[in-house]
Amino acid sequence: MTLTDIHREAPPAVVARSLTKVYGQGDAAVHALRGVDVAFTTGAFTAIMGPSGSGKSTLMHCLAGLDTVTSGSVHIGDTVVTGLSDKELTMLRRDRIGFIFQAFNLLPTLSAEQNIRLPLDIAGRQADPALFDRVVDTVGLRDRLSHKPAELSGGQQQRVAVARALIGRPQVIFADEPTGNLDSRSGAEVLSFLRTSVRELQQTIVMVTHDPVAASYADRVVFLRDGLLVSDVHQPTPQIIHDTLMKLES
Amino acid sequence: MLKTTLAGLRAHKLRLILTSLAITLGVGFISGTFVLTDTIQAGFTQSFTAAADKVDVAVIPAKDEKRSQEGPLTVPMELLDRVKGVEGVAAAVGVGRERTALIGKDGKVVGSMVTTWGVPVVEGELNRTEIVTGRAPKAGNEAVLDESTAKTRGFTVGETITVLDVRQQKHRFTLVGLFKLGVDQELSHGGAVGYTSETFQRMAQPTGFREIDVLAKDGVSAETLRAAVAAAVGAKGEAITGQTLMEKMADGNGVEIDFITYGLLLFGAVAMLVAGLVIYNTFNILVAQRTREMALLRCIGSTRSQVFRSILLESAVVGLLASVAGLLLGLGLGAAAIQVINATGSPMPAGTVTLTVTSTAAGLLTGLVVTVVAALLPARAATGVAPIAALRTQVEENAFRSGVLRWVFTGLFLILGVGVTVAGITMPPGAGGLFTVAGGGVLVFFAVLIIGPVLVKPLSRLTGFLPAYLFGVPGRLAVDNSTRNPKRSATTTIALTIGVTLMTLISVVSASVQASSDARLDRQYPVDYVLMAIGDREATIPRSVAETLRTKPEFGTVVAFREHTRPVTTDNNSFVSVGTIVGPIKTIAQEGWTGDPGPDQAILSLGTAGKLGVKAGDTMEIKTRSGRMEKVTVSGTYDREKMPGSDVLLQESTFHRYYGATEDIRVVVKMTDGAAPEAARKVVESVIADLPTVQVSSTTEIRGEFNDSINNVLMVMAGLLGLAVLISLLGIANTLSLSVHERTRESALLRALGLTRPQLRVMLSLEAFVLGLIGALIGVVLGLVFGWAAVQTMQDKPIFQAAPLHIAAFIVLSGLAGVLASLLPARRAARASIVNSLASG
Repeated sequence: MTLTDIHREAPPAVVARSLTKVYGQGDAAVHALRGVDVAFTTGAFTAIMGPSGSGKSTLMHCLAGLDTVTSGSVHIGDTVVTGLSDKELTMLRRDRIGFIFQAFNLLPTLSAEQNIRLPLDIAGRQADPALFDRVVDTVGLRDRLSHKPAELSGGQQQRVAVARALIGRPQVIFADEPTGNLDSRSGAEVLSFLRTSVRELQQTIVMVTHDPVAASYADRVVFLRDGLLVSDVHQPTPQIIHDTLMKLES
Repeated sequence: MLKTTLAGLRAHKLRLILTSLAITLGVGFISGTFVLTDTIQAGFTQSFTAAADKVDVAVIPAKDEKRSQEGPLTVPMELLDRVKGVEGVAAAVGVGRERTALIGKDGKVVGSMVTTWGVPVVEGELNRTEIVTGRAPKAGNEAVLDESTAKTRGFTVGETITVLDVRQQKHRFTLVGLFKLGVDQELSHGGAVGYTSETFQRMAQPTGFREIDVLAKDGVSAETLRAAVAAAVGAKGEAITGQTLMEKMADGNGVEIDFITYGLLLFGAVAMLVAGLVIYNTFNILVAQRTREMALLRCIGSTRSQVFRSILLESAVVGLLASVAGLLLGLGLGAAAIQVINATGSPMPAGTVTLTVTSTAAGLLTGLVVTVVAALLPARAATGVAPIAALRTQVEENAFRSGVLRWVFTGLFLILGVGVTVAGITMPPGAGGLFTVAGGGVLVFFAVLIIGPVLVKPLSRLTGFLPAYLFGVPGRLAVDNSTRNPKRSATTTIALTIGVTLMTLISVVSASVQASSDARLDRQYPVDYVLMAIGDREATIPRSVAETLRTKPEFGTVVAFREHTRPVTTDNNSFVSVGTIVGPIKTIAQEGWTGDPGPDQAILSLGTAGKLGVKAGDTMEIKTRSGRMEKVTVSGTYDREKMPGSDVLLQESTFHRYYGATEDIRVVVKMTDGAAPEAARKVVESVIADLPTVQVSSTTEIRGEFNDSINNVLMVMAGLLGLAVLISLLGIANTLSLSVHERTRESALLRALGLTRPQLRVMLSLEAFVLGLIGALIGVVLGLVFGWAAVQTMQDKPIFQAAPLHIAAFIVLSGLAGVLASLLPARRAARASIVNSLASG
């Protein structure tokens, strides 16, 4: 039995059913999502790919409760995300979701350590000291904890963001082009950390990217085009991803 | 470039409005002041011109330095007949003016310090009295009253009024009309009753006229007649044309208007200074925000000077629009103020709202210049933007380092300021010292202005301690954010500091003055009741009052003061007041009373002894009622700060021998221990019940009245300074909304990470709260220090007192005001969509 088979049997962490999202009205209406059905397995690292304008970022925003959906439903664990109030969504994000963005991930006034602890501080929770140490060591920031973001390199900043996402043990981490602003070496580092955290901490990660190399770190890649899920690849290699993309864009 | 600038302005209407509001308010206040004073001035001019048209020539008292000391100068009555006989005179009337006290419905004379005037209402063309209700008096038992007194005292036409003549005899008149006081400041002070000329002679028994008004025959010019009249009156009076007379009156009133104008403009200047700081800050932020826009302009070929000019042009447009709006606001404010003045029945002649061209230009120019000057530095900073900045994605954090130069200049201003202040304090008490201290204050303020960015961080730690502790993450972030751009925070808070400093200063000074006066009243009046006669110098209290009070068991000490009604000439040609004290003065004069004077001895107040240059043991001569110079020996001095009294105090018998057995002018009473105050008061009131001119006040009342008047001044000043504070709040709101704009993505990130909307709002409000507290804290410290310094220059032995409640209120209110200013920006930030905000920038 392969690893993929195990994941197929585990309950999904995030499920979207018949998800549609329309911006604007009438002639100006843009159908960003046209009915997406997708499930993200617990403890797996999934990448969402697609050409520009395919709706991949919109899908992530809807899944994470950052944006409202036009119709359909989103479940995170056993919680129906669609229909929650702003306050309930905020609590959901705070307690059960981790985020890694492409840039501007950190608050410039806070030190690296304060940034890592920020979601827990907002929630008024204490970090598990053992987990904190483990995460910090995993991302290799031990000697940078007291530094302000301005004193860190781009790669280090993204590693802080990864640590921040991991520290709350969220049900799912959404990463939006986490390596988009990094050079290839720093990018590879960050992606390795993400994969390690999936392996070692059984963390569920959903990552949006347009970079085939980045996507190849995932266990599975789902492809979007024009607001529809068009392909689903398990255990991808950069070559397969590249070929699939070429096919989609043609 | 012009098109770009204007398009940019149109695209950011809200920003334009916020920026303009500060200038609009400042200009509004200044032009409101102008509208008010212009209108009053126009009213005066109108009234004077109307009066000048009636009188061709007036005879006014000849100047006489010596006689003017003894009382108001008059024109001898016999001159009237002589003037009437002059060739070319059509008519001439003598205008007199004496105190004839109207008795109010409570049986006591109207007025607390002075009684009403009595004036003749002359007939014919020379009548300058304007009857507004009813008619002029025609018979001897008819009188008219000024409308303001009638209103406040509840008299209506047809009623009977009782008036005391100069000999304090009661006379009853039928009120047949009400008249306008017009522009006569002297009459306005106390009000007036008008009689027929004959009745006036009977009531007032004047010894001379204030003025003789002359009407010329047709074809006789005023100047010709003036010369003829001048020849007729000789040295006994001065003949002037009606025009000159009105100019003299206008001059006297002009001084008062100037005083109001300058006073209000001072507050306007403070408001404009604050507005300037707000504008400076706003343009700084705008330039910082548009770095990329300006870099793009530079990329496509704009020169540095074009960028500079575009910013200045923007400020000029903003300044002009805001000033025009301010002018309109000022018209409204001025009109409202005039309404209030008219409603309160103040004697200011206020007709239609007037705004002169000069005032309009002054208002517009002030607004424009302040805006453009405030934008100069930011515009210069904008020229430093490199074209490459257009390509950078992230705006750099505005790092701030305190350079050596900053410290040097701060030190320089501080040393200078402290030096000047200390010099002011060590000066003898008076206006000179006060102004010097004010100068020192301005210098120290500059030091604070320069060092402000350095102070912001530690102060935010201090003021933010509690919010950070109470509100967790939002609190801590707020404190951090408040100092992210120390320069911006400093300018924002300093704007508030100005208002708070001045408010604290005024609070401290008034509290200190109050404390000093309380202390002086305690020393001066260790008595329970003071009886005083209201009216002119002739007003007295019959001796029977003191004598009756002495027989009452409620009172242990009754002391009567007597004083000669006229100033007395001394041997070195000075004028002094001479009096005596009857009763056990020692029991109420606790300290500084060296002993009662013996026969032919005199005790001098310290001030008089200094003025005359005499000391105990010396002799001096005083002119008695009979005109003889009598020698008295100075036996001691006393401190008038501690006990009120005449310049020269004689023994009772000596005083009576020289000046006759006069009545009392003041009686002070002390209760026996254990007497009930209410009962004692009733006894005093029953004793003086039939004496309308005698008023009783308890020392508590005197104190209360004084404190009330101080509090009123404090309220007015606080109200005027409120404008400066309001403008600085606009500054806080402006800074915060621009900061919110700058941190759009950061706020979105926090929201994504689980900060609720209320928490985000709290965070921004706390940031404003901390800024408000910093401003208030600096302001309170400055205000306390310079309030103390100002108090030192006011009196010999100053008592410094601060009102802790006021000061605590200033601090708390400043913080809350900051929160108020943050509400709108915070609301906008909290409503922003996370997804859009994350994608922006």
